Amino acid sequence: MSDNAESLTETQKDEPSTPQQPTEDSGTADEKKKIDVLLKAVGDTPIMKTKKWSVEKGRTVQSLSQFISRFLKMEANEQLFIYVNQSFSPSPDQEVGVLFECFGSDGKLVLHYCKSQAWG
Amino acid sequence: MVVGVGDGVRGTHREMSSCFLDEETFCQCCQLFLQHSHSLCDGWSWQQVKGSEEGYLRKTTLGTGRTRCNQDQQGTSSDQHQERTFSLSFHDDDDDDDGAVCCIQEESSSVVQYEYHILYSCSYQTPVLYFRASTLEGRSLCLEEVWDSVHPNYRQRLQHRPWDTITQQEHPLLGQSFFVLHPCRTEEFMKPVLKAALEEHRQVNYIVTWLSVVGPVVGLDVPLSYCTQVPEPPHTPSSSPQPPALGTKPG
Repeated sequence: MSDNAESLTETQKDEPSTPQQPTEDSGTADEKKKIDVLLKAVGDTPIMKTKKWSVEKGRTVQSLSQFISRFLKMEANEQLFIYVNQSFSPSPDQEVGVLFECFGSDGKLVLHYCKSQAWG
Repeated sequence: MVVGVGDGVRGTHREMSSCFLDEETFCQCCQLFLQHSHSLCDGWSWQQVKGSEEGYLRKTTLGTGRTRCNQDQQGTSSDQHQERTFSLSFHDDDDDDDGAVCCIQEESSSVVQYEYHILYSCSYQTPVLYFRASTLEGRSLCLEEVWDSVHPNYRQRLQHRPWDTITQQEHPLLGQSFFVLHPCRTEEFMKPVLKAALEEHRQVNYIVTWLSVVGPVVGLDVPLSYCTQVPEPPHTPSSSPQPPALGTKPG
């Protein structure tokens, strides 16, 4: 699923020193429809092998959460939480584009994720 | 990181205590939270219990929920946004006198009135979210309806063990029946956030972080501006319930 064109598109950047180049950078007339997201694991949550993703602005937090959960092969009793600013869990219905506008820096949105049983 | 026995113990002491919330910090976080709520007209208020120093945050709001239709809704419905999968007139013509039986298994999306309370739990040393939910006709939702109303993002986890997630309990201060989101594992999702903040010498407002995680589960939206506009409480050096470290005081 991770390589499906409909879902998150993996950016090719693995060298941290290279400046971010969103795939649509050449089209200056069109508003960029995707944003770069950097996913960071929190606590004991497994680290994703691919951390940088190009995500459509309209994608919701819930959609991203589902993607990460499947990627991590999470159990049914586990819940994934995503944080912006390392301190705030945005609504699942929130669009990542909005989060990028509020919390993006250096051309990317850093999101921390954490899995937990959460309740009980 | 070992700086010295005293500092090392103090560091551990602070790290352990930072994962939990003492009541004083709870109140401070709530007050700061409230200030922002007022500026947004977000509807929160502080309720003080008469003759006590205890209090809680309260908010009522309209949201949506999955409710089962019942004999209250005969003919026209006052829920303007209600969607039904089949016509109510079927049941109007039903000459079955048993008024309680009416498409029992069918659920629809309805407008629901929610009342949320944020209380401090001494036993868990965390905030706890209590809430009530009722239709516009004043009928309380049953537990199954509340479970069915949980946001889809959390539905799978809830369905795995619903009795561990949301149940009904007596409100500790009001004595009335409320739904409650179980707090036993609050530390699990709060600890990594608090630990990271501690390591980077920044603080978070516990209530803002906590509510942003638990609120959306039960239909409570916490606007993004809370993330950046609510300050953290003043650092409280010795408010931890842990026994004091070896004669050292942080701060």
